[in-house]
Amino acid sequence: MKKDIFTKMQILSDSAKYDVSCSSSGSENNYKTGELGAANSSGICHTFTSDGRCVSLLKVLLTNFCIYDCAYCINRVGNDIPRAAFSPRELADITVHFYKRNYIEGLFLSSGIIQSEDHTMELMLRTLRILRHEYRFNGYIHVKLIPGSSPELIEEAVGLASRVSSNIELPSDVSLRSLAPNKTKEKVLSPLKLARNFSLEQTDKPIGMSTQLIVGATPESDMEILRLSSALYEKALLKRVYYSAYIPINDDKKLPSLMTKPPLLREHRLYQADWLLRFYGFSYDEILNEASPNLDEELDPKSFWALNNLHLFPVEINSSSYEELLRIPGIGVRGAKKILQARRFKKLKIEDLAALRISVKKARYFILCDGRMQKELPHYGEHIRSALLSLPKQKKEQPTLFDNGAFFGEF
Amino acid sequence: MLLLYDGSFETFLTLVHEVYYKKINPDGILKKRPDMLVFDTLYEVRYDEAKSLAVYEALQKKFAREHFERILHIFMCDGADFESDLLHYIMLGFKSQKELDNITIASVFRLHSLQKELFRIAHKMSGFLRFSELEEGMLYAKVDTKYSVLYFLGLHFSKRLNNQNYIIHDIQRDLAFVHTNAFKGIQKVAEFQIPRHSKEEQKFSRLWRTFFQSTSMQNKENKKLQRQGVPLLYRAYMTEFIN
Repeated sequence: MKKDIFTKMQILSDSAKYDVSCSSSGSENNYKTGELGAANSSGICHTFTSDGRCVSLLKVLLTNFCIYDCAYCINRVGNDIPRAAFSPRELADITVHFYKRNYIEGLFLSSGIIQSEDHTMELMLRTLRILRHEYRFNGYIHVKLIPGSSPELIEEAVGLASRVSSNIELPSDVSLRSLAPNKTKEKVLSPLKLARNFSLEQTDKPIGMSTQLIVGATPESDMEILRLSSALYEKALLKRVYYSAYIPINDDKKLPSLMTKPPLLREHRLYQADWLLRFYGFSYDEILNEASPNLDEELDPKSFWALNNLHLFPVEINSSSYEELLRIPGIGVRGAKKILQARRFKKLKIEDLAALRISVKKARYFILCDGRMQKELPHYGEHIRSALLSLPKQKKEQPTLFDNGAFFGEF
Repeated sequence: MLLLYDGSFETFLTLVHEVYYKKINPDGILKKRPDMLVFDTLYEVRYDEAKSLAVYEALQKKFAREHFERILHIFMCDGADFESDLLHYIMLGFKSQKELDNITIASVFRLHSLQKELFRIAHKMSGFLRFSELEEGMLYAKVDTKYSVLYFLGLHFSKRLNNQNYIIHDIQRDLAFVHTNAFKGIQKVAEFQIPRHSKEEQKFSRLWRTFFQSTSMQNKENKKLQRQGVPLLYRAYMTEFIN
């Protein structure tokens, strides 16, 4: 039966939504006079879904037909779900029409495996060729590389896309073997390595790549996950790792039961820790170790680290380096920069921080302002911990977690 | 003494001139004549081309580009009450340029923050603005923003929609950024007729709503977080929030 375009859109965006990566940042000035589209260096959110995620790309599958049988995946071959496929031209047209109306920054294209890996990759490339060559579209295109497709196809994708990625899905080879019988760690990593080499041949700036890990479907600890991420960042293989709390969609005895709630808080803590790796100069073994291999659920990872390293505190805000300021709980990149700028003009006191709208609710336990500590506050580990925990919850920190109490990663 | 001016950038420059040479120390600066009785002398500053030009040239000469631009940007924050801070900022700049980065001075910090807020609104609008396609392929968008960000939107879209004809209509300020082969720039909107949409418009807006619906995860619903990302204020002209 032939499906109309609305039904196809419904099916193929529904199937793609479990892929959480969405960023669209790229180089600012890639527009060309007389052509359509440009990337934006900071990335732009065009709307937010009812679950609160930023939408910046038209995230769809080319098709959700799939010959694989990955236990965690909604599109596994054994599932009886409605299937559909866009034709490359259809999808290219929708992309351009959406882009012109400023609905999106560009396209995020993934696909189920139809017929074979190469056939799938070839269909995706056809879409990209129409967009780039025929429509002269310079907007953002993110392509999921199909593990197991031929190197020539991957090379062409790297040349046409703004960013490519391949999902590692599960944090260890053992888990992968058990849940995704058609995939191995080697197979999922190889397109990333190939893509990097191809793009390095062309420019000295490798193409941006990312991956996604499913959290909570298998027994890996947070430390194992962060160790993997940090290895991928260190080798400069990836720009970003996304973490996706496992939502039980398939009933399979190898998986957590369908009653399990997605470990949203754990996902949130992993993202926080990931930021510490990427922007705050932490290494994974500072955040976690064999003795405590999982992130604290009550406290954010930076506060948790600070409490375990109280010998490094308090930190004098008037003389510490940027790197040291960044390690103070509650002080972020913006706060640290404001402190650097302001202290050129005067010695900062705690009131000055408030005037600069830097929150000191957490930070005040860990700082000296011009040699002075906040006398009335506790300065012993357990006391600080309970003081931090009794702070009113910030609204910004994923409110639903506390509203419906849906969390925790133990199975 | 209270100063009164007409709210325009040009007249504000005259005001700076008056304050500087007449050594006035105003208690406040008003854009509109107060409706209530004020027990303070009210001095109305009228536009004086020579004085304004003199101040403008002095600003261009003495102020670093970044600081000069900040003054212009602050004037785009038309709804805000920034005059006293801006006057202080300009006087401070004539004394010492270095102090203009001193965010421990309250008025300087407020202006830095206001400028950031302006940038934030402009950035959000560059994502939340929605074009619809009119007959003959012209794209048309309505915006209604707290501050005037048309200039930034024009810069942004003239890069990415380089080969398109479009109009961004600021309905609050009766201004429009127009990008056609004949004209590129900001124009005053005198009269406006409700445009007719192209044949395909309905199909693509419906397709977009379909995508928006099905890309949401029902089992992770979080309307509060959604409201933080896209506050209700911005939704009036967004295709996916209009029924």
